Amino acid sequence: MEFSFIFSQFLSGLTYGMILFLVASGLSLIFGVMNILNFAHATLWLIGAYFCYSFWYLMQGYNFALWVSIPLAGFACAAVGWVTEIVLIKHIYKRELHEQLLITYALALIFADLIKIVWGPTDRLIARPPAIQKPVFIFGAPFDSYFIFVILAGFAVALGLWWFLKYTRYGHIVKAAVFSREMVGALGIPIPKIYTWVFTLGIFIAGFAGGVQAPIGSVNFGMDIAIIIQAFCVVVIGGFGSLLGTLVGAIIVGEVFSFAILYWPAGAMVLIFVITAAILIIRPWGLFGTPMRT
Amino acid sequence: MPAALFVLALILPFIVREFWVHVLNEILILGLFALSFNMIFGYMGQLSFGHAAYYGVGAYTTGLLMVKANWPLFVTLPISMVTAGICALILGYFCVRLRGIYFAILTMAFGQLVFYIIFQWYSFTGGDNGLQGINPPAWLFKTNPYYFFTLVVVTIGAIILWFISESPFGYTMRTIRDNTERTEFIGINVQRYMLINFVIAGMFAGLAGAIWGPFNRSVAPDLCSWQHSGGPVFMAILGGPHYFLGPMLGSVIYTLLNAFVTGYTEYWPLVSGTVIIIVVLLLPGGVLGVYKEKFGHLKSKESTTLEHGGS
Repeated sequence: MEFSFIFSQFLSGLTYGMILFLVASGLSLIFGVMNILNFAHATLWLIGAYFCYSFWYLMQGYNFALWVSIPLAGFACAAVGWVTEIVLIKHIYKRELHEQLLITYALALIFADLIKIVWGPTDRLIARPPAIQKPVFIFGAPFDSYFIFVILAGFAVALGLWWFLKYTRYGHIVKAAVFSREMVGALGIPIPKIYTWVFTLGIFIAGFAGGVQAPIGSVNFGMDIAIIIQAFCVVVIGGFGSLLGTLVGAIIVGEVFSFAILYWPAGAMVLIFVITAAILIIRPWGLFGTPMRT
Repeated sequence: MPAALFVLALILPFIVREFWVHVLNEILILGLFALSFNMIFGYMGQLSFGHAAYYGVGAYTTGLLMVKANWPLFVTLPISMVTAGICALILGYFCVRLRGIYFAILTMAFGQLVFYIIFQWYSFTGGDNGLQGINPPAWLFKTNPYYFFTLVVVTIGAIILWFISESPFGYTMRTIRDNTERTEFIGINVQRYMLINFVIAGMFAGLAGAIWGPFNRSVAPDLCSWQHSGGPVFMAILGGPHYFLGPMLGSVIYTLLNAFVTGYTEYWPLVSGTVIIIVVLLLPGGVLGVYKEKFGHLKSKESTTLEHGGS
């Protein structure tokens, strides 16, 4: 097999991995800080994609329409996430695991139906601006030029989150809350407020990821169902609450998928679940996580 | 009380219209599915979010044997229990090593694994087309006869599960749920007991799936998906996971609601999601749990908690 082909396959895998990272990083953040496994995360990601489509539709004709719509989708989703946290999620932090899971599972059902009500069941397609219509050639192999943007966006968010957690006051608070929320509360930091903003930030990233996803293909109903499970796999492989782990996990899943589909298309997803199960059995806290406090 | 319910279930098909007999049939099958799930959840204290896998394996075993090999339903039912049980044995072997959220995620990952295998294996399972033409034998073909057949199978299944849950084994399960460490200290091989229970739960989920195929005349890979695994979780919590028949009551309420709502609107997920949230927030302990708290005269034997369940 030619090198150029392998390289372009690698980049496709990386692109897919970056989408997964964008979805999974918010999932992992929310789980790490609040111990809530958000089933509705990918549905909010899909809402982000639809938001992006709608914003783009309103600004159609302008070259910048898409580039403005993507972050706007993030903000619109963040608003939805903020309201959801205040109205519902706030009340389930102290509930039992199965109750939390059922509530976010119910949210996934509700949001999916809201998408159907607002945007209807038809597929939505964003016409790409000229800058990303033509493929680029890397070592002679054609490659979707938008994918370059996806990869850059993924790494930018990873860097941004890393900087936020490492160098800002709020990042330190979030990291401390992962470790011991009682202690952080005892220091006089309003935990409920922090929780609201962490949830909102997680959903912002999900919405932004949806916006990034939107121009890749058509946006259609039900895309969230496969993605949420893969995002769980990413978080499990990388380790709950670990940013680096989520990035590595996402790239692993993206690349495994991208190369497995060449040799054994039917088995690509199966392989990912086998890897996930193996990690859970051997090292339940994931490659980069730490054993959880219970 | 259970005897009265059984008599009611016997009489109802002669009173209500055919559509509702269909709904009753569905209630029973999903009820058995939820009862089997509750062996893991209510009695063992672990949340399985992939229980639909064993239901699906049972459904596909019966479906494939009936469509491709023309085997009679009575032979395929026990075989379905065996295949679902073997599946639960292999996957459960790993699951019982984990607890809490990890248990939930691993069961879900395995459930999706089974789903994708069935979904992708076109030549054998028909992939996303599913299997059509799973016809019950002629004398069970009409709605009422098949309903009575389901009633008999589900009743026998429920009675067996009841005896298991009230046996010393069932009480060991409760002990593991309430304090795993202490159970280990008194010399019980916790993982082995959990695995046995996991296999039992898988077998009866397989039985429920096996009667679903001929009832629906077809099976589809969706039966194994994680969305379908959410059903029994909710039914158990809705009815009351700490009572043996709680999940069956959950199935009654949930399936009836589904039948009513889908008659008026296509937005069933929206309605069911809202109901789930309301129930979880306002009815902790499920309908039976709240009923017991309010009126307190449920027979203590029906409770699965150690404090009230002693005989």
